[in-house]
Amino acid sequence: MERSTGYWRVALLALPVTVFAVFIVWPLFSSFYYSFTDWNGFNPDYDFVGFTNYAKIITDKLFLNAVINTVIWMLAAILLPTALGLALALLIDSRVPGGALFKSIFYLPICLSAVVVGQIWIWIYQPDWGLLNTVIAQVTGDHPRYAWLAKPDTALGSVIVAWSWQQTGLSMVIFLAGLTSIPGDLLEVCEIEGANVWQRTRIVVIPLLTPATVVVVALSVINSLKGFDILYIMTGGGPFHSSDTLAMHMYNESFKKYLMGYGSAISVVLFLIALTVIRIYFRELRRVDEIYG
Amino acid sequence: MADIELRNVSKHFGEAEIINGVDFKAGHGEFIVFVGPSGCGKSTLLRLITGLDQVSGGQILIGGEDVTRLRPSQRGVAMVFQSYALFPHLSVAENIGFGLRLAKLPKAEIKQRVRETARILRVEDLLDRKPRQLSGGQRQRVAIGRSIIRNPKVFLFDEPLSNLDAALRVLMRLEIARLHKRLGTTMIYVTHDQTEAMTLADRIVVINRGRIEQIGSPINLYDAPANRFVAGFIGSPAMNFVELSRREGDCYLGASDQGADALLPQFTGEAAVLGVRPEHVMLADADMADLRATVEIVEKLGSETMVYLQTKAMDTPLTMRAPPESRLAPGERVSLRFERGHIHVFDHEGATISTR
Amino acid sequence: MIREFNPWPTVIFICLACLALLFLAPTVGVLLSSIKTTRDIALGQLWAWPETFFLGNFAEVVNNPAVHRYMINTILVAVPATAASIALGILAGYVFAKLPFRTSELLFLAMISGMFFPPQVILIPLFRLFNSMGLIDTLWPIIIVHTALGIPICTLLMRNFFATVPNALREAAILEGASEWQVLTRVALPLSLPALAVLATLQFTWIWNDFLWPLIFTNSDEKRTIMIGIVNLRGQYTVAWGVQGALSLIASIPTLMVFLFFQRYFIKGMTMGAVKG
Repeated sequence: MERSTGYWRVALLALPVTVFAVFIVWPLFSSFYYSFTDWNGFNPDYDFVGFTNYAKIITDKLFLNAVINTVIWMLAAILLPTALGLALALLIDSRVPGGALFKSIFYLPICLSAVVVGQIWIWIYQPDWGLLNTVIAQVTGDHPRYAWLAKPDTALGSVIVAWSWQQTGLSMVIFLAGLTSIPGDLLEVCEIEGANVWQRTRIVVIPLLTPATVVVVALSVINSLKGFDILYIMTGGGPFHSSDTLAMHMYNESFKKYLMGYGSAISVVLFLIALTVIRIYFRELRRVDEIYG
Repeated sequence: MADIELRNVSKHFGEAEIINGVDFKAGHGEFIVFVGPSGCGKSTLLRLITGLDQVSGGQILIGGEDVTRLRPSQRGVAMVFQSYALFPHLSVAENIGFGLRLAKLPKAEIKQRVRETARILRVEDLLDRKPRQLSGGQRQRVAIGRSIIRNPKVFLFDEPLSNLDAALRVLMRLEIARLHKRLGTTMIYVTHDQTEAMTLADRIVVINRGRIEQIGSPINLYDAPANRFVAGFIGSPAMNFVELSRREGDCYLGASDQGADALLPQFTGEAAVLGVRPEHVMLADADMADLRATVEIVEKLGSETMVYLQTKAMDTPLTMRAPPESRLAPGERVSLRFERGHIHVFDHEGATISTR
Repeated sequence: MIREFNPWPTVIFICLACLALLFLAPTVGVLLSSIKTTRDIALGQLWAWPETFFLGNFAEVVNNPAVHRYMINTILVAVPATAASIALGILAGYVFAKLPFRTSELLFLAMISGMFFPPQVILIPLFRLFNSMGLIDTLWPIIIVHTALGIPICTLLMRNFFATVPNALREAAILEGASEWQVLTRVALPLSLPALAVLATLQFTWIWNDFLWPLIFTNSDEKRTIMIGIVNLRGQYTVAWGVQGALSLIASIPTLMVFLFFQRYFIKGMTMGAVKG
C-alpha cells in the first residue's frame, strides 16, 4: 500500500503533538487565564478579578523575598556544579589511575532522589550527631550544636551545598564526553607550539568545551528552575521564609493557602523568567553553533 | 635551517613493529618527500621527528643536535596537519599567532609578524574570520602560516593536500613549492600520492612496511628503481610486470609453459620478473616482436592514449602508452616490443638485477 | 630512557581521592545508619565503623506493608510512563529527523522548549483538569503528566539519533518497498538502541525519584509513591534513623540498578546525543 510522506507525517506526529498540546501547552495558557481569577481550588466557580493578583505580587514582601532567593539559588545552582564538574572532568581526563572508579563515585549521587539526598544531608546538618558538627568538633575541640537548616543565615546555603553535591556528577560526565570529542591533533598542535598545561587548558581546552558547557548550563538552568523537591524536603522554604523560592512560594500560596488564582499569577512570573533564560540560551546556542558546528 | 638525521630509528607499539631501523639524512634546505602506501609507517616516522611519539630505539638529530629526548616544542619543528588542526574558536590572526602568544611575545610584535606572514600567504583580508568561514584552500594557507611564523628549523607536512579537491590540490602544490623556494627551509613532506612526491621532492624516500625501500631524486627513482616495490609504486599508470619462466636453460615470458610466448635468451638465471613502463611498450613488426597481444580496452585521454592488452604471458592486462592519434581498436591483434635500455629485471626477492 | 620525575599524576590522584572521599561520605553515612540501632546513632556512633551488622532496620522496612504498596504504586507509574514517553518521542523524533516539512523546525523548537519550563507553571490548570475528570487520588494523572513532560527530551534525543542514520538507508528501504513505518521500526530503531538506553535511564530515574506530581495528585496513603512514602514514614519512625536509612537505600535500588544496567550505553549516548546535538 503506497502512502504519501504527508500521510506519514500526520500519522506519526498526531499522538505526540496531541498529548503535548493538551497536557503542556493548554495548561500553560490556562495559567495566564487563572491568574486573573480568584479560584480557590475546590469551588468550581470563580470570579474574574482583573489584575488584582498581579497588584498583590508587587506589594507582597514574601514574593520579593522569593525572587531574591530564586536568583541566589539559580546562580549558585548553576555555577557551583558547573565549575566543580569541569574541574573534576579535567582532573580525571589527565589519565589518572582509577579514573573510571572516580567517575562512578562522583556520578553516584545523580541516581539518588531529592528525597533521599535531602534525607542524607538533613543528617549531615543534624545539630547533635550530624557529620558537619562532628567534624567541626574534632577540629576545633568544641561541639557547636549548630542547627544549619534551622537558622535563616545558613538554610539556603546548606541546601545549595546538598544540591551541588548531587548535580556535580552530571556536569562532570558531560564535560568528560566533551573532552573526548576534542580532536587529538588540536592538542598536538599545542605540544609542537610549546603550550604548557595551564596555557593548553585555558586557551584551547576550555574554549573547545564550549558546546559541552552550553549543555551543562542548560541542564543546570532546567534543573535549578525545577529545584523544588529538595527545598521542600530539607527546609520547606523556612525558617521564616529564608529559603523560599518562587516555586516554593507558589506551592505554599496555591496548595497551603488555596489561593490558586494568586498562585497562577506567581507561576506566570516564573514562566516569564524561564522564557528570558531560554531566549538567552538559544541565542548563545546559535552563536556556538556557528563556530563549532 | 638545519639538517635532519635519523640513526637506526625504530618504533613498536607493543608487539607491532611500525618502524624498523631507519637510517636517513636530509641536508640543509632540502625538500624531502616520504611516500608509501597507507599504513607503511611514513606518518609515524614524521611523528617521531616531531616528538609527538617517542622512538623505541635509535637517535634523531636536528642541526647536529640530538633531540631524541626533547619535547616537540624544543625541537624547532613546525607541522602542518592533514586536518589543518585549526582552532575553531580562534580567528585566523589568533591561529597564525598562536605559538608567539604562547611564547608571551609583545602584542605589537605578534600583530606585526602575523600581518607579515598573512601577506606571504595572501590571507591578509581574512585575519578576523573564524576557520569555519574559510574555504579548504584558505584553511590550508592559515595552517601553513601558523607553522612558518616561528621560523622553525624544519617544516613537516602530514598529507596536507589530501582533503582538497583535485584542482585545488594542483594549485596548493605549486604554492608549497614556491614557499620552499622562498624560505629555503628543510621540509619533510608525507604523502601517499606519488604525483605529489615526484613534483615536489628534491629527494624521495620510499617507505614500505616500516623500512626505507629507496632514497633518490624523482627521476632517479623513476629510471632506476632499486626493487620491484619502488618500480611499481612510482609512475602512473604503473609499470607492467611479466613473470619469467625457464625451460632447458632458456628464458620465456610468462609463468607457465603454455603461457610462454616469446624467448628472451639473454637473461641470467637469477631473473624472475621483468618490468617495463607503459611508454616503453611499442608496436613492432612480427619478426622484431617480444610478444603478441590482443587489444582489450582503449582509453583516449586527449594528450595520449592508454591501451590495455591481453597477453598469454600475464594474468592482468598489459598497459601501453600510445600517441593520441593511435587508431588501435578493441579486438585487434598486435605485435609488441619492449624498448631496449628500459627493461627492468628483478630477482625472486624483488631486487633489481639490471636494466637493459 | 631516563625521563624526569613528573609529580603531577600523584598530586592529581591525591586531590581526586580526597574529593571522592568527601563525595562518598554522605552515601556511606546512610549505609552506616541502616545497619545500626537507633540507640547507637543517638549516642553519636553514626559515623563510627560498625562492630556488628544490625539488620533489624531492613527487616522493619521489608515487613512493612505500606512500603510494599508504595513500591508497587511507583512501578505502576514509572514503567508505563517511561515506555509511553519514549514511544511518543520516537514517533515525533523520526518525523523531525527524516520527514522534515516547512514548519517542522519551528514545531520541533516549540516542543523541546517544553523541557525548560518549571513544572509549577502548569501545575494549577492540570490540577483543575484532573479534578474535573475525577482522577485526583488515582495514579492516572501522574502517568499522564510524566508521559507528556517526557516528550520534549525524548523527541530531542531521538531526533538527534535518527539524524545520524544515513538518509540513504531509508531511501534504499523505501525503494525495496518498505513503508515509512517499516523504515522506522526495522531500520532506524535498531540503529538507535543507545538512545533508547539513555532515555530509559533518564526517564525511569526521573519518574521514580519524582516528588512533586504525586504530592499534588494523590492524597490517600493507598495511592502514594515511594518518595512521598519515605517522607510520610518519617513521622512514623521519628527517631528511628536507622529505619529511615534502610528505607532510603531500598527506595534507591531500582534507579541504581537501571543506571548500572544501562551505564555503558548511557555514557555513549550522552556523548552522541547531548554534546553533538
